[in-house]
Amino acid sequence: MEHVWDFSAVFSNWYLLLIGLKNTIVLAVVCLVLGLFFGLFVGAARYSGNRLFNWPATAFVEIFRNTPVLVQIMWFFFAFPIISPFDINAFTAAALGLTLNTVAFSSEIYRAGIQSIHKGQWEAAKALGMNYSQQMGRIILPQAVRRMIPAFMNRAVELVKMTSLASVIAYGELMHQAKTISTIEFNPIEMYTSVALIFFILIFPFTLLVQRFEIRSKAKG
Amino acid sequence: MTEVLKIENLHKSFGDLNVLNGIDLSVAKGDTIVILGASGSGKSTLLRCVNFMEIPSSGRIVLQGKPVGTEKADGINYPEKELTGLRARVGMVFQHFNLFPHMNVKQNVMEGPRTVLKCNQAECARRAEEYLDKVGLGWKAEAFPSQLSGGQQQRVAIARALAMEPEIMLFDEATSALDPELVGEVLETMKELADEGMTMLIVTHELGFAYTVADRVLFLADGKILEQGDPEKVLIHPQQEGTKNFLRGHGSFRLPEPVLD
Repeated sequence: MEHVWDFSAVFSNWYLLLIGLKNTIVLAVVCLVLGLFFGLFVGAARYSGNRLFNWPATAFVEIFRNTPVLVQIMWFFFAFPIISPFDINAFTAAALGLTLNTVAFSSEIYRAGIQSIHKGQWEAAKALGMNYSQQMGRIILPQAVRRMIPAFMNRAVELVKMTSLASVIAYGELMHQAKTISTIEFNPIEMYTSVALIFFILIFPFTLLVQRFEIRSKAKG
Repeated sequence: MTEVLKIENLHKSFGDLNVLNGIDLSVAKGDTIVILGASGSGKSTLLRCVNFMEIPSSGRIVLQGKPVGTEKADGINYPEKELTGLRARVGMVFQHFNLFPHMNVKQNVMEGPRTVLKCNQAECARRAEEYLDKVGLGWKAEAFPSQLSGGQQQRVAIARALAMEPEIMLFDEATSALDPELVGEVLETMKELADEGMTMLIVTHELGFAYTVADRVLFLADGKILEQGDPEKVLIHPQQEGTKNFLRGHGSFRLPEPVLD
């Protein structure tokens, strides 16, 4: 098959792509910030000895870890509005799915990070007369967070990629814009190649950063 | 003599395992008490009940004449707030030092006064300097724990506990994790504290140290005090078969005297 590559329609629609890129970044950042924030609480609940906290948190994490993200997004867009007290647009549905998914994953990162700290650290802090929140805030978290950073960065990379799933519910992120342009301009090969390239340029520096960080923390032991 | 600590009929069990079976002990101000015993005899648990790292199953701990906890019909109730307050008054040194690796030496020593006692910055810094000098490590203030030898780390841990200006110090096998050549510097620091009149409860396997420094030696077996008294009595002229066996085991291999000159 002979194909003459023609990227002119990609360039002439640069503004639509730029809007898509902006929407991709907005969705990723919102979900990351909310996900990491609420993940701390779910992680703490998972770590708690109290069943009242522990059990629902575990159920939540397992549900979101063991179902596809695409199903979650579709559910929040098509199923949830039927029982929801407020309006659900494409952004809300995608943000709900991806945020809750990130909450589930990041809570596991928090939990594993905190558990990786030797119990002698808790004991030393306790023996000085610190209460639980001082032990956690001054001694345990500052050490644990350092170990969590590579995992969080990996999660951020995954999240940026997962935002493309929001195209199925017509949220105007990069992938959805590309789909729209390619049906108008009949240029799927140039359009999707360009989108892949844009994602690559967006994500690759981050991946490099993660690698460097992992090497550095490995060297530190 | 003022009594700093009194332990009355202390019991502690973990599930079905009875670790302490009725310990009574009175510690006067300035006492240095060494606790000996085979592993599993309950020495560490006894120490850890004093600052409530472990909650006693029954019995009473009295600190400076005041019983800890509130008596209820079904035993003693220990409010967490009272226990954190008590721990701030009792210093503890661990076998594995447990320094905070994300803080430098000075920050390690300042951490307790700053976070728990809410001292101002100047007072915290003054204390850190004073107690680091005391253990001979003022010159390492800016170093991180990972840059220190085991012996130095343990001395920082001692300074960290001292900076709280505790009423009593607990040493839980403070030299057991150290290479043999580093044991001496830590014992030396502990001896200085004892000489200065610090009230100390020490769990150790260093019999020579016990003999030289202790005012009183307790020998624990099966969660009870089998024998106690001054070091001469317990270590040189033990009366109980259990104590004798323990000491025999420790004395199996010895250097001939002249080598020690």
